[in-house]
Amino acid sequence: MTLYLLRRLFLLAFVFLGLSLLAFSLAYLFPGDVLQNFTGLTTMSTEHAAELQAEYRLDSGYLQQYIAYLQRIFNGNWGLSFSSNQPVLHEIQLLLPATLELAAYALLMSFFIGIPLGILAAIKPEGIISRIISALAVAGFSIPVFWWALLLIMLFSLGLGWLPTAGRVGVLYEIPHVTGFMLLDILLSNSQHQSEALIDALRHLLLPTLVLATFPTTVMIRFTRDSMLDVWEQSYIKTARAKGLNRAQVLYRHGLRNALLPVIRQIGLQFSTLITLAMITEVIFSWPGLGRWLIDSIYQRNYPAIQAGLLVISTLVISVNMLTEILHTLFNPLARKR
Amino acid sequence: MNIYPGWLNLSICDKRWLTLLASSMLLCACQPQLPQTVRSGLVYCSEGSPESFNPQLVTSGTTIDAISQQLYDRLLDIDAQTGELQPGLAQSWHVSNNGLSYRFVLQDNVQFHQTEYFQPSRALSAEDVVFTFNRIMQTTHPFHYQGGGNYPFFQSVDWAGLVNSVTAADHRTVHFELSRPDSSFLSNLATDFAAILSSEYADQLLSNGQLSQIDSHPVGTGPFRFKEYQKDVLIRYYRHRNYWRELAKPEQLVFDIVPNNARRMAKLFTHECDVVAFPRVAELGLISQRPDVDIQESTSMNVGFWAFNTTKPPFDNVKVRQALALAINREAILQAVYFGHATAAHSILPPTSWAYNADLPTLPYDPEKARELLTEAGYAQGLSMDIWAMPVQRLYNPNALKMAEMMQADLARIGVRATVVSYEWNSFRRKLSAGEHDSVLIGWSADNADPDNFFRPLLSCSAADTGTNRANWCDQNFDRLISQALLTADQKQRRSYYMAAQQYVAEQMPLLSIAHSQRFQAISSDISGVAINPYGGIALATAAKDSQ
Amino acid sequence: MARFRLLPDEQLARSPLRELWREFARQHSAMAGLALFLLFVVLAVLSPLLAPHDPYLQNDALLLIAPSWSEAGLVQYPFGTDDLGRDLLSRMLIGARYSFGIALITVLGALLTGLVLGSLAGMSKGLKSSALNHVLDLALTIPSLLLAIIIVAILGPGLINTIWAIMLALLPQFVHSVRNAIAEQLNLDYVIAYRLDGASNWQVLTRVILPNIWERLTVTASMALSTAILDIAALGFLGLGAQAPTAEWGAIIADSLDLIYVAPVGVALPGLLIFTCVLSVNLVGDGLRNAMKKRRDN
Repeated sequence: MTLYLLRRLFLLAFVFLGLSLLAFSLAYLFPGDVLQNFTGLTTMSTEHAAELQAEYRLDSGYLQQYIAYLQRIFNGNWGLSFSSNQPVLHEIQLLLPATLELAAYALLMSFFIGIPLGILAAIKPEGIISRIISALAVAGFSIPVFWWALLLIMLFSLGLGWLPTAGRVGVLYEIPHVTGFMLLDILLSNSQHQSEALIDALRHLLLPTLVLATFPTTVMIRFTRDSMLDVWEQSYIKTARAKGLNRAQVLYRHGLRNALLPVIRQIGLQFSTLITLAMITEVIFSWPGLGRWLIDSIYQRNYPAIQAGLLVISTLVISVNMLTEILHTLFNPLARKR
Repeated sequence: MNIYPGWLNLSICDKRWLTLLASSMLLCACQPQLPQTVRSGLVYCSEGSPESFNPQLVTSGTTIDAISQQLYDRLLDIDAQTGELQPGLAQSWHVSNNGLSYRFVLQDNVQFHQTEYFQPSRALSAEDVVFTFNRIMQTTHPFHYQGGGNYPFFQSVDWAGLVNSVTAADHRTVHFELSRPDSSFLSNLATDFAAILSSEYADQLLSNGQLSQIDSHPVGTGPFRFKEYQKDVLIRYYRHRNYWRELAKPEQLVFDIVPNNARRMAKLFTHECDVVAFPRVAELGLISQRPDVDIQESTSMNVGFWAFNTTKPPFDNVKVRQALALAINREAILQAVYFGHATAAHSILPPTSWAYNADLPTLPYDPEKARELLTEAGYAQGLSMDIWAMPVQRLYNPNALKMAEMMQADLARIGVRATVVSYEWNSFRRKLSAGEHDSVLIGWSADNADPDNFFRPLLSCSAADTGTNRANWCDQNFDRLISQALLTADQKQRRSYYMAAQQYVAEQMPLLSIAHSQRFQAISSDISGVAINPYGGIALATAAKDSQ
Repeated sequence: MARFRLLPDEQLARSPLRELWREFARQHSAMAGLALFLLFVVLAVLSPLLAPHDPYLQNDALLLIAPSWSEAGLVQYPFGTDDLGRDLLSRMLIGARYSFGIALITVLGALLTGLVLGSLAGMSKGLKSSALNHVLDLALTIPSLLLAIIIVAILGPGLINTIWAIMLALLPQFVHSVRNAIAEQLNLDYVIAYRLDGASNWQVLTRVILPNIWERLTVTASMALSTAILDIAALGFLGLGAQAPTAEWGAIIADSLDLIYVAPVGVALPGLLIFTCVLSVNLVGDGLRNAMKKRRDN
């Protein structure tokens, strides 16, 4: 087990090395001046430029430059954004919680809706309920997320006027930025409108979460259903059936635990999907998160921001993936052998 | 009507989790009632982020709308109806006979904003005015190079060359000494750019070494004080409690930054916004059908144009410029882009200006002639060019990208292969000022009623240096005409100079004027008192929500 | 090699392909999906002939014509026109080329490249293969859209760059699937037997292994196709893919978003098309998978 953990950690370090190398080389791959791409300074005097050249080791070989780059990454000196002239790292710190908040709620939603529906669909695979669930799952799997979001906005915001279309909370509520997680910040704030703000924030959260959760929910339904049906084929279930338990009882007592084990692995995979879809969702709902920021940066050719954004997002995705895989292995000794 | 159960309004702390539960059930209830204090706030959905919080440093209408009228006052104001000058911070003013010396007497007891970062100890004094203008004029001034040292509007009217000195006679009297008479001087003082800053605040920043804060954490005398700014998200102002004129009606004013049109409209319909900047003209009919939204229309002095970078070949060739201008079907653009809510432009001056030259020939849409001219210029086989289309929506051009797409198709007919180029707004302006463009679709909104406000910032040599002259056109004949017009105060004489200048521009075609647009504002029907000045930004201090 | 007859009556044993088709055809949803899929293929190929108007022709006289089912509509423009007077029906039809046709080509490209790389990886052994495996595992955990966005971020926005980006982003799953399939096959008795007969690597690959894995590849390809369509549309919508005036469905939605109140058709229609397109591919893919499973069970 220790060996396994060590191997995973080694792989993680290796991956980070690769990612940082990629991020580093981006400064060269992007058009424009390398020094500008690294620092984010668009105007600098010649002396200042020379000073920075030396500091960034641009006069020495690539290896030294890369080492200097790594040092800067760990020191938190990630350069400035072309468009706002603010430190990129600072911007990411402000925006990341918004994305994580959205993704986390969507993940929860997809689990709470997807798993029960998947189980329901597995109980009678040829039944009418199962067919309806499967049909919904295929539909949800095929719908383009941006279009789905627009449809929901058209219906719930513009048609019925029930829900707001954009943002995290009504702009008239002044919520101080403490953790960056809106609900938490509202609870921490001492505003006299706390409860109203909370309701308002939840109303803002509902549509984006629903949109974002759609795709992972359908994946969860299909996954849980297939996993249940697979377990159903196992001999220990047949034994249980032979003992005289009915289908639902068997599923509950013997099937569920074994079928849901692989679901842990899904958390990681779903998380990466969520982060990607969150980019689109954020764009549509004007959600001030990392995804929207990265898309804007790509559009604006804001190279320091793209560089940092890619590094953060891919590191995040891969770390979460690796973590859930390790968790999965901890719970499931069979997986360790592989 | 109150749709929430009564206990929700009681002390909530211990019932927080109940609230959470209850709220999830109530999420789908209809429009919620806001609490009283929040309800008295006003949300203005604007089309973009401000570039700075100091109007001296900017030219864009978006920034001016967001900061000028809300945070600052000027020495003089312009009457929205008559276009005449009115007392602002200066309660009276006097001009010497030779037109070289101006004296202003300030209002008494005008208070600056009390904010988290600055507590003023004194009222407005002549020192503040001196500080404001010296920052612009004196290159040795400690604040001059804060924010880049560019004062585009003041540079375009050659402020440093015009004003010799600004001095305080006593704490309420300011003297301006000019190097030559300038008939547009007072009008320029009344523009939104000439906001008065606090010298006491500057001193505080100087002693703390936080010079850069002066433009990001503003202090002024206006009806609202600055609270917070999140780029691309919002600006939050609170009412200035010691305002010298009538207190602002909204307790809180939020600029919700929503660059996308459709989203801004959606926010109006869901009542997330009270006032929406620049609704799509295409949707005006639709909006007017709704009982809960009103449309406000006002004439505005502006022009949308297509400027050629005259320093770059082949656009230094007047024949090429004329050919390109003839190839554009402007009538179609007026229909498709402005949806008929604009007048075709024949000059850079709008027809409502007193200096407008009504005798200018109408430029026809003539691809045949355009081809001939191109052949004469030596481009029989056509040419390739870029059309830069601004990524943002502006009064003078509601959809530059679409316009560029149409022009692309028009130009293809005369063998010109055009590529549409667009960047994010900040990079766009940066690259534009660096002169990287072949041609650009942009425009100008007037800041005062003086025709000079169109000519000098847009086409003069000094503006070519500072970057507001997007054609980079520097022509001695033209410059002579417009500077002569300034030397005289006689309106008849001035008009003849401006007529000639318009004629000359029409011949030289450094830019193709496309349209003068109406300004529209969509307003939630429970809001009243939103004032739009045809010569500048929107003022929201008088806007009030009717209590339901 | 003399033929050895295992089954007494050859007529009883249908070919695996026909068996598959029989199972496939029994599923109504899969057949409906297949019909739709073929329809889209036809559209993508023939759209220039089918489009009643030039999809890029701007007509100043016919701006924002309502669809023909409304009072103000014209019969010549069934779905109306957009804000530049371009015929929406023609744009939708041509859009099939971009959104569906290009996705198809992209997947084929990724499939072929994946086949080559996967075969190379599958036939070789040792450290090289293990390292590749790790890298592939990792690449597979990153969603293709994220990979595509990363690649577009490097290459810059545009349709051609999108194609490369999506092709690269889809590649890992093909390499992975081919490699695993080959690794499985290599251990099977008949492959070993063929090898013992003296067959070379190349012969083993082309004569024995490929015919046995193509079905599985088809399923992978169908999943990749639905991903590719969605990704191309999403990138187009975000303004990173096809640029105006290209009539790509995602880009059309982004374009029409401004006019959603005046002309909701411009948003509704391309979205519906993307949806049906992806749905048809998914139905076919699901149908294939089910059919293969049933055939195995029988």
